[in-house]
Amino acid sequence: MNRRDFIKTSLGAMAFMASGLTLAPKRASAATVDITLIAEGAQKTMVDENTLYVWQFTDPNGKGPGVLPSGMVLLEGDTVNLTIQNNLDRPINFTVEGTSIQTPNINPGDSYLLTFTAPAAGSYVYCDTANGFIGKAMGLAGPMVVMPADGSSTLYQGGPAFDRQYTIFLQDYDDRLNAAIANGGTYNIDDYLPNYYTVNGLSYPDTKSDGDTLIAMNVGENVAIRLMNGGTIIYPMHFHGYHVNVISRNRTPVTDVIDKDTINVGVGECVDVILPVIQAGAYPLHTHYVPGVTANGVYVNPYGGGLIVMLAS
Amino acid sequence: MGRRNNGGGTTTTSGVRTFAFEGPDIVTVRARMDGSINLSDGTSVRTWYFGSGFNGDRQWGGPVIEVTEGNIAEITLFSGMPHTIHLHGLDVDQANDGVPSTSGYVGRPMGNFGRVDGYTSLGTSYTYTFKAPHAGTYQYHCHVDTVLHYEMSMFGTIIVRPASGSLTTIWDGGPSFDKEYVWQLGTVDPSWHTQRVSGAGTVRYNPKYFLINGVDGSNLFNDSTVAISAPAGQTVLIRLNQTSYQPAVVKMGGLSFDVVASDGRPLPQPLTKTSLYISPGERYDILLTMPASGTYYATVDYYDIKGRNVIGTAVTTITVL
Repeated sequence: MNRRDFIKTSLGAMAFMASGLTLAPKRASAATVDITLIAEGAQKTMVDENTLYVWQFTDPNGKGPGVLPSGMVLLEGDTVNLTIQNNLDRPINFTVEGTSIQTPNINPGDSYLLTFTAPAAGSYVYCDTANGFIGKAMGLAGPMVVMPADGSSTLYQGGPAFDRQYTIFLQDYDDRLNAAIANGGTYNIDDYLPNYYTVNGLSYPDTKSDGDTLIAMNVGENVAIRLMNGGTIIYPMHFHGYHVNVISRNRTPVTDVIDKDTINVGVGECVDVILPVIQAGAYPLHTHYVPGVTANGVYVNPYGGGLIVMLAS
Repeated sequence: MGRRNNGGGTTTTSGVRTFAFEGPDIVTVRARMDGSINLSDGTSVRTWYFGSGFNGDRQWGGPVIEVTEGNIAEITLFSGMPHTIHLHGLDVDQANDGVPSTSGYVGRPMGNFGRVDGYTSLGTSYTYTFKAPHAGTYQYHCHVDTVLHYEMSMFGTIIVRPASGSLTTIWDGGPSFDKEYVWQLGTVDPSWHTQRVSGAGTVRYNPKYFLINGVDGSNLFNDSTVAISAPAGQTVLIRLNQTSYQPAVVKMGGLSFDVVASDGRPLPQPLTKTSLYISPGERYDILLTMPASGTYYATVDYYDIKGRNVIGTAVTTITVL
């Protein structure tokens, strides 16, 4: 069967085992964690076979969800010894947005050891801010998920419980910027308008053959989905088949508009939602900035695509 | 069960509506690819839309479709070319979801058109059938080569009326209103309207026109579905349906209004606001109490997708009768 068509109605009868990167460290108490991230350039092959020069934080001892070269899963109160090695051609820093966790600028070729305590449970984006807009636009960002200190499967201690959880890390690229940086040129960020979009580093249809990114679930479950904006544009994420409960926006509980099928994930935002699986089926979750479901202007099938995730139960 | 059939799609503007609608519950539409709209500067762009088949179709966006909470709704789409209806927010079963890869498409395979190679054709007509859920405001749109078909205006608004059949309350037990508007937000990038399929002509979206209900510029002041008028003290319901690709901020000329529902669900508490941010695909129901006198200028500011700058504004009037 063509891999681009493998999700068909037959999936409705399948039961899924738990999977996904963010279920990984199931610890009952905080620990000391050593992590190394290397800031570096890389050639990223997009879904239409075009290649972009991107920047990324690479974890030499692990990886993030999907094909992201890094991603952190921590327990509240963990002591993190983080070494940042800068192999790029200009100064960068490491910043966890919405916290005071930040390194000073790190010069090319240098490394820096940052020790910090994992903050309150929730979803965070780490990125470079020393290069302003360009850091995220070139891809220098990743997801950091902090689980509650009691080790429970909840979004925060005393918060809503879930049966499984997924990290949906959203990024965008304008190939003209990537080319300018690769060639040592400059680019006016006012002109920035992306033409490639990824979730967990992948574009549709590759999103549905990745165990971290295909949202596999069973009827009756509550599924936590962390919508994390690691890019530079808004992502209004629309769920087919389901309304979801909006739990928090940048770790702050949401109480005003809570029962939604379309959730705006603004620039710099993480929105955690719980999806009650009320019916079986195969449904997409995608940005309603519909140009975001394309790859260089081309819609899905048969040539590739963008920011579509499949939900299957 | 109280299913009602109006006998095949009479377009009506009765009650407190300011718009034509189809329904309730049993509706037929045809995919039309021969439309055009005239913009306020004299430019004409080609549109594709869902037509009711009657004279007076707006050629931007399909008709407002009304269904009744708890009833079985049947929306039949006729199309020779590949198109679908996705029932956005209605959480229907997969067979009626309108996504070509998982639910098939209406129409015959047409080579590259629609980018539906390998997906299932449902024939040249299909009846989308669903039980209308919670009363509220929903969207429908074509999900074939969506990035282009949506921009070409293959979208519309679905209103789920409360089970009681009331035409002056948003949901049973919910707030009542004296007059009702649907504002469907949208933008136009003219260069996209010459395309037949997504590709080299749809790499980047740069809208030049900023619409409500398919009209822009000075036409917004003269359009009875857009310009708001009601006597002092009356309650006006405005159903905001965001079908543009740009985030938007809606203001009622400085007047405060109550946000009572979003995405077909009541809010836990109404929110009193003077401006409301709406991202693409969202719907909000807002209630405006008409002031004692005067004319106000309501605005829809369309922002760039970085959320930084206003790139265009639709302006219309709020007039106290």
